[in-house]
Amino acid sequence: MTSAAGRWAVRRSLWAGPFAVMSCALLVWTVQANAQTPPDLSGTWAPYRAGRGADPALTPPPPSPIVLKPQYAKTYEARRAAEDAASKRGEPLGTAAVQCVPYGFPRMMAVALYPVEIIQRPSQVTIITEAFSEVRRVYMNQPQLPVEEVPPGYYGHSVGRWDGETLVVDTVAIKESVLSYQNMPHSSQMRITERIRLVTPDMIHDQITIDDPIVLEKPVVYTLAYRRMPNYKMVEFVCENNREYVDEKGAVRMKVRGK
Amino acid sequence: MRASALCLALAAVGTVPRPVLAHHSFAMFDTARRVTMAGTVTGFEWTNPHAYIEIDVPDDKGTIKHWSVELGSPSILMQGGWKFSDVKVGDKITVVISPLRSGEAGGLLSQVTLRDGRVLGNGPGPGGQR
Repeated sequence: MTSAAGRWAVRRSLWAGPFAVMSCALLVWTVQANAQTPPDLSGTWAPYRAGRGADPALTPPPPSPIVLKPQYAKTYEARRAAEDAASKRGEPLGTAAVQCVPYGFPRMMAVALYPVEIIQRPSQVTIITEAFSEVRRVYMNQPQLPVEEVPPGYYGHSVGRWDGETLVVDTVAIKESVLSYQNMPHSSQMRITERIRLVTPDMIHDQITIDDPIVLEKPVVYTLAYRRMPNYKMVEFVCENNREYVDEKGAVRMKVRGK
Repeated sequence: MRASALCLALAAVGTVPRPVLAHHSFAMFDTARRVTMAGTVTGFEWTNPHAYIEIDVPDDKGTIKHWSVELGSPSILMQGGWKFSDVKVGDKITVVISPLRSGEAGGLLSQVTLRDGRVLGNGPGPGGQR
């Protein structure tokens, strides 16, 4: 071997090790980056429920039972019984929604057939519902605030993170006057955890777990499904012409213009 | 202790999930009944939380009675093929409604036959959204 060729061989052998290490590191980083790229949930989505025409493979599993602590169960069941009796009389009981007060979280996530829009950015996921134009903001990769530091509201304070391909959202500080799932009562200690994921490219499941150590004997778990609505443009919802009102007996009435 | 357990059991068993309606229960309408009325539109309000058709309906003797007919919201109606311009003042239309249980001159739309003969429900699917 000539001296020049020998020197080149020595240099090449010296560089080969670090180059291989750097290449492997780049490869690992690329693979990890691809693996950690979250799915894009952006778009408009319509509630998808079990029933006629629904694909059983895509409909969500049934909800867990609601088991309230005894001191709350009695009032809750009495209210539901009163609602049923009033409806049978044709005098349904008034609710906040009758007066165009928005539902708040979590009930806003499944209002009749109204779509929801998801706008996804790395730092924030925004969820807008068509009914009552309600808005949730999920702050990504931030620690949750102590509930004592958040003024209670209709949407509380939500933080999110990606667990693989699942968006995990933690929400606290829902105002106690804002009824929860199935009109359940709740305390200031209610915490709601969502696991939101694409089960197909055009179907989202949002598994919602409600925990409240003061009101619930055990967490309530239910899942909402949404189908993608390609090219759908959200419709405005300003509650400008509310002809329903609650009468002196607490029943819903409709104003008519005829005599 | 036994009473608590009973309460828990009742709470767990007696709770049947109910869908969240957009605005209000429809129990004030007699949805078991369908009343068909032909008349002249005096107003069409494409608004939230509901759209409304105001309609003058003559009886057999020609006496006019005015009715207020509640529809779904614009969003729900559009999902069922409606447009905001489908009804205009002066249109001769036929509506099928579930009347108010109170006996007042109002009801919930079940179906409408428009001036051009098209038939629409009150939202997507049979019977539409209520």
